[in-house]
Amino acid sequence: CSRIHNKPTFSQTIVLQNFYVNPQNTAKSADGSHIMSHVSDEEMQEHYDNFFEDVFVECEDKYGEIEEMNVCDNLGDHLVGNVYIKFRREEDADRAVKDLANRWFGGRPIYAELSPVTDFREACCR
Amino acid sequence: PGGSRKRDLRRRKPSLYWDVPPPGFEHITPMQYKQMQAAGQIPPSMIM
Repeated sequence: CSRIHNKPTFSQTIVLQNFYVNPQNTAKSADGSHIMSHVSDEEMQEHYDNFFEDVFVECEDKYGEIEEMNVCDNLGDHLVGNVYIKFRREEDADRAVKDLANRWFGGRPIYAELSPVTDFREACCR
Repeated sequence: PGGSRKRDLRRRKPSLYWDVPPPGFEHITPMQYKQMQAAGQIPPSMIM
């Protein structure tokens, strides 16, 4: 989708842009460095599982109860690695966006904003 | 891979990722870093 999405003022859902770095994608990363030349599917899965748990636990501990969390794994530039987290309460989502915007994750700043997505079956691009 | 998972995760080991700044940028905030990126002082390829 190349549409312009309106950013909501209030939402239960936040999006962390380009948050998940797929190790298989990293092999052809933009700066030309080949950090991992070959990553097996099993290592991929383990990496993903660890990532998912790491993010889920941290966010739930810090910001509040999470209803749903999804990671975009497609290769569209503007969607790749996007992580969507739906909180139970809007105020938790609001707090999370503000706090996450000033944290690091794995050597990168976090790009967090509120997302209009509420139904992932409708919206998750994959 | 994808989808959500049941709420049975309770782990407390230190994260390898959370609050880890990029090497050489330990003394600025993520906000400042993003402003520098926007201003072209840091290559945007590092976003990917």
